[in-house]
Amino acid sequence: MRARRPASPPDPALDPKNPFALILKNSRGAAILHALSPAARAAGLRRGQTQADALAMIPHLICKPADPEADTRALTALAVWAERWSPSVSVDAGRQGLGGEGLEGLFLDLTGAAHLFGGETALLAQIRDRLAGAGSRARAAMAPTPAAAWALARWGEAEGDGCIADEGTVRDLLAPLPVEALGIDDRTLAQARRFGLKRIGDLYPMPRAGLARRFRDGDGVGLVQRLDQALGLAGEALTPVRPPPKYRAWQAWMEPVGDIEGVEARLADLVTDLAAPLLRDGQGARALTLTGFRSDGGTTGLSVRMGRPGRDAGIWLRLFREAGLGRLELGFGLDALMLTADAVEPMTPRQGALESEAEAKQAESLAALIDRLTARLGEARVLTPEPVDSWIPERAERWRPALGRGPMARADADPRRPILLLDPPEPVEALAELPDGAPVRFIWRRLSRRVVRSDGPERLSPEWWRPRPDDRQVRTRDYYRVEDDAGARYWLFREGLYGREFSGAAEERAPSWWMHGVLA
Amino acid sequence: MTPSPLSSPALFPQRPEPLEEACAAGAGDAAALVAFALSRRLEGDGRPVLMTATRAWLCEHGRPYGPGLSGIPLIMVPVTTAAEALWTLEQSLRSGAVSLALGAVDASTLSQTRRLDFAARQGGSVGLVLPRGLDGLSAARRRWRISTLASAVDPDDAKAPGPARLAAELVRGRGERPGAWMLEQDDETHRLRLADRLAGIGLAAIGHAGAPSGLAA
Repeated sequence: MRARRPASPPDPALDPKNPFALILKNSRGAAILHALSPAARAAGLRRGQTQADALAMIPHLICKPADPEADTRALTALAVWAERWSPSVSVDAGRQGLGGEGLEGLFLDLTGAAHLFGGETALLAQIRDRLAGAGSRARAAMAPTPAAAWALARWGEAEGDGCIADEGTVRDLLAPLPVEALGIDDRTLAQARRFGLKRIGDLYPMPRAGLARRFRDGDGVGLVQRLDQALGLAGEALTPVRPPPKYRAWQAWMEPVGDIEGVEARLADLVTDLAAPLLRDGQGARALTLTGFRSDGGTTGLSVRMGRPGRDAGIWLRLFREAGLGRLELGFGLDALMLTADAVEPMTPRQGALESEAEAKQAESLAALIDRLTARLGEARVLTPEPVDSWIPERAERWRPALGRGPMARADADPRRPILLLDPPEPVEALAELPDGAPVRFIWRRLSRRVVRSDGPERLSPEWWRPRPDDRQVRTRDYYRVEDDAGARYWLFREGLYGREFSGAAEERAPSWWMHGVLA
Repeated sequence: MTPSPLSSPALFPQRPEPLEEACAAGAGDAAALVAFALSRRLEGDGRPVLMTATRAWLCEHGRPYGPGLSGIPLIMVPVTTAAEALWTLEQSLRSGAVSLALGAVDASTLSQTRRLDFAARQGGSVGLVLPRGLDGLSAARRRWRISTLASAVDPDDAKAPGPARLAAELVRGRGERPGAWMLEQDDETHRLRLADRLAGIGLAAIGHAGAPSGLAA
């Protein structure tokens, strides 16, 4: 293989030795440093400084505009990836008005999960290692409350036992941290500093009532409330990126799996694992999501939906095959696979008295067929007509996904209606003997046809309360069934009444003829 | 299942084979084709009908319209390629969940139709392929050509189109003699039946112009 020459000189921003910063405009329009590389931080710059200041200190600082939306997207993607450790992961987008660094973070609810990963110390080490392997430098800490974990992860020790707090040690571990670690805004912080309250420990002996009165910020989240949240005296709500599923099956392995066959073999185990608890609880799944965790910090997913709740592992496996396991983006390989039941419904035992065994089996095989077609082709392409209460023919039915609905026979069959409907209707040039009469000759699709027999008109009034999409006046339609000399039967209509209904421009005032369908 | 050869050549083969093929004789015969196709269900079969067609076909001929379908529960699967249509047909035939699976598919090969035939036998359903023409090889047991005919006389109104009529020409049947029949829409049952006056006698007997190839075989 020939060595490829670089197309352009190497980007100096990619060299970790060069100080690098992302710039964001703040609310007053001043350019400030939003994020810094380790080299820039080592040179004495800090987040929140103005760009002019920073350039005065370090003239060779490389600046690029920040993209906060992309940051949020990346953080959300990372949160989904972190579901490998916990079903409930929430994004902490950073608190406003704080001058600290590295404020964005993830909360993982690890209640009762640590033993699965070899204990708390091992779990934190694994989280750090995996994130480092995926290219994210991160600090991690564990505490009984989100606020305490937040503080320890940012201001506590980087490694070791100091970053794991439990109910007994959380008070002592938080005490030496600065007051900022409570995540309060700048005004409250400045006020606390004025009172000489520098460390969280300084707050413990203070009378609560006095603290609460003095430190109340605009959002109502005062110093005391944050302290209570950190110590577990007050609750704090977290919003997970995806609602945590009640049922999930999970598998992780040492070596990444890079081929679809390998994934399929493991999926076969997962579906069996997921079906067991559903069977135990008398539940059936209506939607399943398979999430693959890539070693590079990304995730890949595939969802299937079903028309009726089920828990047959074999059917699930087949649906995933139809939906296309090949669509999973494996990257350098998956090292964990998770299968979740997103929508769960109780499965009632079948009512034997009402429908016969054969009918029930029939309905089941139809639902399974619709599931399979939908998994492969998509919901928008497996359709069934639904009657709508409207006398305008094209509105009288609506195509809806057949998934979970099943086709119904219409009761209002009418042999005078066409079997194939042209929607939208096609323009026709027609010649009638009388202005209000049936056509005797018409040109449709460039062919002239002579009418030998006709039936009509069937007059359909416009639904005046529903405006046309092109904003023209809605007009009366006169429908005719006609038969031409070749024996073909058509359903055409004249839109508009002579001299009585106008629509828009002068040339559109005359009634027009339209072909709406072909009769058998 | 297979009728004995030449047993009753003039009788209309009412009972459908697992896989049949039908094409429209002309551009304006699509509605007659669909009406004929829907009539190939087994009598009294309450299972729904599945129809698959490419979007181009639906644009050209129109979409099936519920009120005109005489109360048949329908599943519609618009597809983009013939391969998808064939897959859909095979899946639905094999599942046995539908009474009839219609597919407006062109360019199906012998092995593809053989698969469909096998799937239809397995599921106890009827498969109907609706190609553009009948020149390709096919494993279909019967191949029909459908054209519209002038309607019957409406007893109440001589100037109006009466019950719909169409000509079904059996171009090729396995172990059956080709023939042509005139079918008429029954307004009561919404089904096609043999036109009264002819009482099951081949259409060729009255000298219909659409029948020469049927007579030649």
